[in-house]
Amino acid sequence: MSEPLLVLDNVTKNYGAIEALKGISFSIGKGEVVALLGDNGAGKSTLVKIIAGGLEPTSGRMLFEGKEFLARSPAEAKAAGIETVYQDLSLCTNVDVVANFFMGREITRKFLGVPVLDEPAMEQVVEKALASAGTRIPSLRTNVEHLSGGQRQAIELNRFVHFGGKLVLLDEPFAALGIEQTRRGLDMIRQVARQGIGVVIITHIMQQAFQVADRIVVIRQGVVAGDVARNKTSPDAVIDMITGETLAGAGPAG
Amino acid sequence: MRQPDQHMSPRTRHALEFVLDNLVWFMLVFVLVVFSIAIPNYFQLGIFANIIEASSVLGVMSIGLALVIITGHMDLSVESVAALSAMAVGILFCSAGIGLGVQLHPEWLMVPVSLLIALAVGGIIGAINGYLVVKVKMSAFIITLASYIWVRGLVLVISGGRSAQDLAPAIRWFGIQRLLGLPLTAWIAIACFVAFSLIMAKTPFGRHLIMIGGNETATFRAGIRVHRNLVIAFVLAGAIAGLAGWLLAIRTSGATANLGVGLLFNAFAAVVIGGVSLKGGVGTLPGVYAGVLLLSAINTAINLMGLPANFTQVIHGLLVLAAVLLDAFKQTIRQRLA
Repeated sequence: MSEPLLVLDNVTKNYGAIEALKGISFSIGKGEVVALLGDNGAGKSTLVKIIAGGLEPTSGRMLFEGKEFLARSPAEAKAAGIETVYQDLSLCTNVDVVANFFMGREITRKFLGVPVLDEPAMEQVVEKALASAGTRIPSLRTNVEHLSGGQRQAIELNRFVHFGGKLVLLDEPFAALGIEQTRRGLDMIRQVARQGIGVVIITHIMQQAFQVADRIVVIRQGVVAGDVARNKTSPDAVIDMITGETLAGAGPAG
Repeated sequence: MRQPDQHMSPRTRHALEFVLDNLVWFMLVFVLVVFSIAIPNYFQLGIFANIIEASSVLGVMSIGLALVIITGHMDLSVESVAALSAMAVGILFCSAGIGLGVQLHPEWLMVPVSLLIALAVGGIIGAINGYLVVKVKMSAFIITLASYIWVRGLVLVISGGRSAQDLAPAIRWFGIQRLLGLPLTAWIAIACFVAFSLIMAKTPFGRHLIMIGGNETATFRAGIRVHRNLVIAFVLAGAIAGLAGWLLAIRTSGATANLGVGLLFNAFAAVVIGGVSLKGGVGTLPGVYAGVLLLSAINTAINLMGLPANFTQVIHGLLVLAAVLLDAFKQTIRQRLA
């Protein structure tokens, strides 16, 4: 395996007496695509939020590029180079496509010492990014509220492809996409991974996991129930891990 | 989405969108034309100057209120904050009543000092509001309702219910000196609208406020420092209300304990008529200014027609209702345009 980008070491998360994560340990390599699978309520989204800075773990530690890492806010995770696409879309529908694409990192130029939005420059970047991904949106100046679910998701996907960073977390990114758009999305993920960016993708759809992932990590009841290379397992074996029929192929403990 | 709209040419569509975006300006022009035709003596430069002049305090206050509403929150305290700032300035720089008659040399120094005091008083209360909203995570409506009450109480306490009169001439100069027919106080209001309109439309800070109003979670996830931005918005709303109080003190050449009572609801009316959605994320400051001018134009008409002043309140109330209905109507049209 390539050099580990992110290592999780016995990460736990309690909500009061409820143990959402009972101790998760696995790692993601540079340029590696890891599919995170598990039944509803297994703790996948909690785990993503912990890595992305939306939640703090109760205990355990994380190493990012070999250094101790804990994001206290999404801003900190972003600064470290972790991009996240959430299950429920994170767009502001009251502003246009360009504003959403650059949310929080607008291109500015100084006018009398005051940072001013450089709209033409931003529009150009978005135009290029969307065109190269084959996404068609009639006008980049329409507010997102007028766009379809697929177009909205395309904005988010193109956003992470463009800004890249070092690690990308995708929480069910294709929920609103059609077949063709999903295929293109999976291509995007491979393309991003080829640039040496680590990708964690949460999905419910076994077929997607097997199409795109290098490694499959299964979470069940807050622990890692399986951690296997894609080419060394089969959908049936993974389903067994998800439902708890067998622990065969479980990764190294701890 | 609907069939007929598929045939709409891009040009008609753009025109229609332009009208929708600036509807309140069209309403203002319409109202001015109607009044000019229908009411004798309405069509005069002096009347128009008066409309602008009379709306300066309300206009400035509406800016702060609009900022906070656009971020998806609420500030009911602006009226009381303006009164407290006015009272602070009044007590320090008035020479009659409860005024202490503080003199500074040179005299012009009283202008920046009084202005800074007014802004600081407002800014501090805004900071308290913002801190409570962000850190204690209570509803801004409740917190600023409390501020609305306790700040007004503070005005009564420090004034003992009495008033301060005869503001220092150096400060009052702003209300007397005219430039192109308008007093400097009106120019200050206009300058504020221009400055904050630019901030909202052209800077990342303004863009972030609008986006926070649209989807706070999304902006937080995108790494925008939502809490910091919100506190700044509340501090700005407070400081702007402080400026409104300063203008109010100049206008009345002092301060009374019940100064500015009722301004909050006029500010609300102006903001809503100006196209700001109470749900947050929608609205522009030029629109709010048009809303302020619209209210002022109607007030002036009522005065000129010799109607009892009590009618104004009825008309303002109906206008707010009309504005909300219009907003809903605009939404439907927009959805069809999409």
